[in-house]
Amino acid sequence: MPDKPMVNDRYQRMQRTASIHLKMEAKNTLQKIVEEFPNNPAQMDHFYRKARIFTGEEKFSARGRHVVATMCIHVPIELILAAGAIPYRICSGAYATDQIGAEFLPAKSCPLVKATLGTIFLHLYQYDIVPDLIVNPTTCDQKKKLAELSGELTESPFYTLEVPPTRDSEDARIYWQRVVKRFARRLENLTGTKITRRKLKGAIRQVYRAQVQYRRFFNLRKGLPVIWGKDAILVTNTYFYSDIEEWTNALEKLNGELEQRIANTDRVVSPRAPRILLTGSPSIFPNMKVPILVEQLGGIVVAEEFCSSSRLLYDTVAVDEWFLYDMLPAVADRYLKPCTCPNFTPNTDRLRKLLDHVREFTIDGVIYQAFAGCQLYEMESRLIGNALEKNGIPMLYVETDYSPDDLGQISTRIEAFIESLKTRKKKKD
Amino acid sequence: MKKLSTFVNNANISRFRFYIQLLSFIVLIYGGYAYISIGQNLPTFACPYNHATAGNCFLISLQHQLHNSWQNLLGFRGIALLSAIISFLLFFILLNKAWCGYICPLGTIQDWLTSLRKRLGIRFARYEESTFRKLKKVKYVVLVWLIVAPLFIANSVFGLPRLSHDFFPPFCTICPARPVLPLFTGDTSQYFIDFSSPITLTMTALGLVIVALFLVGSFVKKRFFCLFCPMSALHYLFSRLAILRLTKEGEKCTKCGNCFRVCDVNIVEIADDVTHRNIVQDDCMMCFKCVEACPEDGCLKVSVLGLPIFVSSEEGFFHRYGPLENKEIKDA
Repeated sequence: MPDKPMVNDRYQRMQRTASIHLKMEAKNTLQKIVEEFPNNPAQMDHFYRKARIFTGEEKFSARGRHVVATMCIHVPIELILAAGAIPYRICSGAYATDQIGAEFLPAKSCPLVKATLGTIFLHLYQYDIVPDLIVNPTTCDQKKKLAELSGELTESPFYTLEVPPTRDSEDARIYWQRVVKRFARRLENLTGTKITRRKLKGAIRQVYRAQVQYRRFFNLRKGLPVIWGKDAILVTNTYFYSDIEEWTNALEKLNGELEQRIANTDRVVSPRAPRILLTGSPSIFPNMKVPILVEQLGGIVVAEEFCSSSRLLYDTVAVDEWFLYDMLPAVADRYLKPCTCPNFTPNTDRLRKLLDHVREFTIDGVIYQAFAGCQLYEMESRLIGNALEKNGIPMLYVETDYSPDDLGQISTRIEAFIESLKTRKKKKD
Repeated sequence: MKKLSTFVNNANISRFRFYIQLLSFIVLIYGGYAYISIGQNLPTFACPYNHATAGNCFLISLQHQLHNSWQNLLGFRGIALLSAIISFLLFFILLNKAWCGYICPLGTIQDWLTSLRKRLGIRFARYEESTFRKLKKVKYVVLVWLIVAPLFIANSVFGLPRLSHDFFPPFCTICPARPVLPLFTGDTSQYFIDFSSPITLTMTALGLVIVALFLVGSFVKKRFFCLFCPMSALHYLFSRLAILRLTKEGEKCTKCGNCFRVCDVNIVEIADDVTHRNIVQDDCMMCFKCVEACPEDGCLKVSVLGLPIFVSSEEGFFHRYGPLENKEIKDA
């Protein structure tokens, strides 16, 4: 438990209230997700249950293994698995911890960073387990400073993973491969397990199996809308803190059910509903404000370009020679080369990816979610918006955060956007 | 038809390639014993210094044809040269640079050395990109040398004195195929240093140094020699005429770099170029490992006369890279 912060009455009070708020928040969001939508797939129950770790109804045991907390998508999961530890991502979407973090950060900080800091500060991790290591990749400026600040506030063991600012150059690749190699050594020290050739190969294959199911899920959504976007987002969210095998099996079952639905043309929404692509700052449970609003107002989210979904699991590791000398760089490359996180510059690949999604998923409109204070996404929105406009795809830019205050305002805007998309769609037909 | 294409796209082309290489190797090296003669102008290293060769490398006939006076070249000799080039082209357009990846015995030997290294668990060497960019130009220099030198030996150009005949054949004397390939028929007579003149001394000594470099280099670096191969340079000049093509649809590329990772000859454009359709570079040997490693449906494509014969696919990728416990992906 925390030693550094004054383990005083105030801290304990904060912890107690934030924990209650977090549970309420999670409960409310889940209620919306589960009960306010018709025709949820039966196999979603597993994922709903997984999300209940936030409400305290679901428990988890690390089974004596080390727990390595991660942030962002740049942390090579394969290495953590190969070292025999449990990876889990602590990027938070909770308003309850956002308010705590706000106490230590400038007013105009990104809610995701604030919420994550709040989580670390109050030890309000999912599952109530204490991570043995918190891996902090140097992605955006705020994430970079997060570790320093948390180190000042708590005694959590941080590890800084140095992410290069570009990813196309050879220098960046070689630098990153070295960083990843060093990270592997650190993990070995932590768990006392050597990352051997066999173990790493096993871990890569384990992630392959998850990717096979994820890609199947991803491709399914190109056709008939058989699953709500809010469910799809929850599926990838639960990957943050699920046992990978368990998650893969559950998704396999869900995929089976969805394929059945496609065969039976069992849609969740009319084919006239505008098909929306969500991109920008990630929706992380319990902050599901935008996707839920979109779908309540008559749209359907068929694809997300988020670091909490497609960016997380889509791209694969390719190894030429199955020895550590090639496997480690291969794993490193997979986390660098295809990553469309805006912390990299140039990031034109993100635009290419979006345009590809627009074609592949027959998108009617793009909603660009930017968290207030999330400077990189805010800045990139202009480039993306202009390019989409050139290609004749309407985009709505929504600046939001974790608080429920702007619900009325953004719901009006989203509603108007969806109505206009509907009219456009009708005209096209 | 769909079943067949799925079968091919899921196949392990590298294994297929291994057997084709083995077969070509046997035919080209030992074919002479069975009176096989494929041609005098093969676009691959079928070395006539090996007495049992089943054909001749085009480079040797090119050097011989060019070793002529201008008058001869403008006469019937010129026609012979032209017909040699045409016969080379006819062979070449069938397989494009796949002659390097699938047929070339010297390439096959390098791949075997790579396998040996892999068996021993020794890591491979890689060039830095800038070094690579510099080194890859060497093959054009060698190509120019082997075309220009015979002309300079036979003629006086711009009134300059003629080059010594001791240089002839200007490439073969330094080509590693000349000493290496006859070894497989038990012939070690190509390992010598010719002391007859300073030029022969230099050239033959250089030849031996190159053999040593070839053996050591291709042990530590995949396809070490190909970067300097004038045949590869010559191929590239005509690559666009060939019927076997490797194309890329840039829109489908996520730039994950898998193709570049597995490339034996360090071609970075295969991953980073998202605008050009014809993606074959001068160093490419068309082994199609990149197509195997690409997990995007239809992004990389091998085609004959525009007809796709091997296409990258997600299913194929996972088939090759991770044995699937779940077979249901087939339905997806």
